[in-house]
Amino acid sequence: MTVFDLLLQQTINGLSLGAMYALLALGFTLVYGILELINFSHFNVFMIGSFISLFVLQGFGLSGQEVILTGLPLVGVLLAAFLVTMAFCGGLGIVIERVTLRPLRNVKGPAAMITSIGVSYILFNVILLTVGADSKNFPNPLPAIRWHIGEATLDFRVLLIWAVALLLMAILYVFVQRSRIGKAMRATAQDPEAARMMGVEVDKVIMMAFFLGSALAGAGGLIFGLYYNFTSFIIGFTAGLRAFTAAVLGGIGNVPGAMVGGVLIGLIEAMSGQFIATAWTDVIIFSILVLVLVFKPAGLFGRIAPNKS
Amino acid sequence: MNATAAAAVSVLVRPFARIPEVQRRRTLLVLLTAIALVMPILLDNDANTDSLANAAAYATLALGLNIVVGFAGLLDLGYAAFFAIGAYTYGILTAFQLQPEWSSFWEPFHFLGLVARMPAETGDGSVVHFTLSFWLGLPLAAGLAAFFGVLFGFPTLRLRGDYLAIVTLGFGEIVPIVVRNWSDLTNGAAGLNGVAAPRLFGWSFGVDAVPYYYVAIAMVALLIFISIRLRDSRIGRAWMAIREDEIAAGAMGVDRTKFKLLAFAIGAAFGGMTGVFYVAKLQTATPEMFGFPVSVMILVMIVFGGIGSVWGVVLGAFILQLLQSWWLQDLSEWLHALGRLVDNAWLQRIDLVPSIELIFGFILVGMMLFRRQGLIPATRPQAALSIEQQHAEIRRGGFSDLKLQGLGGDVRTGEAALDIQDITVKFGGLTALNKVELMVPKGSVVAVIGPNGSGKSTLFNVITGLVEAEEGSIRFHGEEIKGLPDYQILAKGIARTFQNLRLFPNLTVMENALIGQHARLKTGTLAAILRPPGTREEEMRAREWAMEIFSIFGNRLTPRTGQMVAGLSYANRRRIEIARALASRPRILLLDEPTAGMNPAETLELAEQIKSLNGLGLTVLLIEHKLDVVTTLADTVYVLDHGEVIAHGKPDEVRRNEEVLRAYLGRNAQASLAGMGTANVA
Repeated sequence: MTVFDLLLQQTINGLSLGAMYALLALGFTLVYGILELINFSHFNVFMIGSFISLFVLQGFGLSGQEVILTGLPLVGVLLAAFLVTMAFCGGLGIVIERVTLRPLRNVKGPAAMITSIGVSYILFNVILLTVGADSKNFPNPLPAIRWHIGEATLDFRVLLIWAVALLLMAILYVFVQRSRIGKAMRATAQDPEAARMMGVEVDKVIMMAFFLGSALAGAGGLIFGLYYNFTSFIIGFTAGLRAFTAAVLGGIGNVPGAMVGGVLIGLIEAMSGQFIATAWTDVIIFSILVLVLVFKPAGLFGRIAPNKS
Repeated sequence: MNATAAAAVSVLVRPFARIPEVQRRRTLLVLLTAIALVMPILLDNDANTDSLANAAAYATLALGLNIVVGFAGLLDLGYAAFFAIGAYTYGILTAFQLQPEWSSFWEPFHFLGLVARMPAETGDGSVVHFTLSFWLGLPLAAGLAAFFGVLFGFPTLRLRGDYLAIVTLGFGEIVPIVVRNWSDLTNGAAGLNGVAAPRLFGWSFGVDAVPYYYVAIAMVALLIFISIRLRDSRIGRAWMAIREDEIAAGAMGVDRTKFKLLAFAIGAAFGGMTGVFYVAKLQTATPEMFGFPVSVMILVMIVFGGIGSVWGVVLGAFILQLLQSWWLQDLSEWLHALGRLVDNAWLQRIDLVPSIELIFGFILVGMMLFRRQGLIPATRPQAALSIEQQHAEIRRGGFSDLKLQGLGGDVRTGEAALDIQDITVKFGGLTALNKVELMVPKGSVVAVIGPNGSGKSTLFNVITGLVEAEEGSIRFHGEEIKGLPDYQILAKGIARTFQNLRLFPNLTVMENALIGQHARLKTGTLAAILRPPGTREEEMRAREWAMEIFSIFGNRLTPRTGQMVAGLSYANRRRIEIARALASRPRILLLDEPTAGMNPAETLELAEQIKSLNGLGLTVLLIEHKLDVVTTLADTVYVLDHGEVIAHGKPDEVRRNEEVLRAYLGRNAQASLAGMGTANVA
């Protein structure tokens, strides 16, 4: 392959990864924007999402790469998988918030963050102890349609991932900008006290942020399975940290920023894997995280949420 | 359930309550030491002693992380990185990983016994084999880890708590990745092999657990000693001040950069030392031993035992390690026996050991929700005050019996103590202060008044270095102080209080006053640990000085010195803030609405105390809304409005100034006042 083809191919790969990170980053940004909490449980809500979607696909009798669906059955199965996964993860997010984080909302210091690490550990080990440590083959019912651009290939699966991610992000964006509760969310992010006094039900808004963020993480988990053809209990940590980096890069609290940040991180991962070495990818991404936090803590596009400290 | 446990504890403790506390503690300590010393003989089992040695190693790690998280309040999620750095330092310098060619350069090292000369495997030259002694490895690794602690700590200094956590997590991940990929140095994922066991007078520890156990116990004892000595010193108080309120810590003279880095360095040094011990014991090191799960495990230990509590984190580490290596095993076997009894196949197969991380998760969540202070809380419950002690003796007329040696002494010569010229401050488009000029003569009381939002507190913030001025100059006794960091400004002799109270809420009244003296005390890290006579004396004098300052307020604070500030009344907290500022032996005292929230009697009392302080020759700059207080105290009044000085002069002159009336009451009000005047004439 020529350098140009390699670049093109890695851009295609990076955009797919980026779509996944963006969905995951949105959850960090929504919650951080309102609660100023780095929610570590989000890492493994994503991981659980990939398992839920695995179970749904298996429920349809799909396993491995043998069964290929087309037309309506494909649309139906994918729709069911996305909806069930997102609903389950969204519910999980609400439960986590309600049971473990709400009692600590007015506690200063790192208590809430430590709790979210604990929740993350619980989710991680529940899957490890029930499903097992070996990675699971993820069904891929998509027809193997490929297009060649030079020597780079673009397949149907990638297009589907882009389309789903774009659709979800567009829905979220419109929801946050236009809907009543979306406006309430933005108001709460600016100033929870003032929002409460203006009649915003802050508890409901926070619940909504957890629901939306977790549902998107679930969708991200399904995309992970489709893209890599496997899932495992360990996927949450690395993907979660990269997505968090994406959120920080785009300016944490900033919804469009998280989307752009996700895509950037996906591209950086793909390019560094190609042109440097996969082994150093995480070092590069963490270095970006540290550099952004130290020199430009507001991210590339600035924080929407003001500093409430 | 908590109440029952507390009741059970109190029944157990009651018979011992008569024994004086100091003696009780000493007895407990002797008992604990004795048990620790005979434990291997009691166990008489190498595997069990080995588990204890590992538990002790984790206790040292927990003690190290506790310095960073518990004392200084910096949440570090990558602590295992320092453990790794220490481990690999010793590992590389004793294993056969690096074998540079022999040359005369190595002769002196050979002489010192740090390297050996070995025939090369290929060819006929000879190569170097590193043979660093374990006992030299401990301080070397501690030093190197401390260096990396400062290196990693430096970029995180300006970050807020939650960002700091994520950056340390990033460093915690980078270190194992570097270890895995730098194969020449570390043998990569395969791990270092053939790490040398410690030797003592030519005798090698080998693989017998007992000597390792004693080394580990000695390390725990040493680190407990260091932790406690640091905690109860100027150093520990500075860390806790940062933990409680960074801005107040800076304003009270604590150099935050220095002390945060110091916490990182000392915590890292503990981790590095433990790393040496750990690899010497295992005689191998792999990158997997130092990942995120290890950092979280250490965090779980300190959360479980009690964040900031020295004995708590040791207990937490021991319980969790032994849970993992002993009790879960036993529990599983009991369940198997139960399964055989009731003929249940599932119970017979169950193995609880792999669920340890699940248990960690539940511990983190459970402790945060139900017992945030941990098993042994860092702060002990306080005795309630007696009725007599609570009875406040109202002291009118200030004080005349107190000398307060070294406070004040400024003679009213008319020279400027504080001279502010042309100070301008802008926040974005808003001009908070516009070319403000203000002069405080030595020995006088100057008051600043003005409507809300007129820039009074911003003025204080500029003087004390919290806010940067765009232009102008601030001279203090002739010396330019604009642009100095907050803690240096305090050291020059400018101490302040805050409008909205910035005390250190979870520290005692005495500790607050001692932190106020931070800049006047000299105790460094080494002195804090070794506590030579000079340090003891300094500490004693610091406490005496604090008591002298408290006596300004009659008996309001004196009986409460051991109480936590958070539980005191609003008026008392105002007094403590003033006492804390005075404890720093300022040459000028800046009071930001000192009587806010006080009732008229308390207001009068405080005003008279301020007057008495001024009588000792202490220069005072005061922001105050209560005009009667201003009139009683101030020699000169400055009126600020919209960031500009609109009037200044004697209190009476200012009161009659038309512009001042307009600023306070508005144009129409003044017109109606004028109207009223004419109406009266008519």
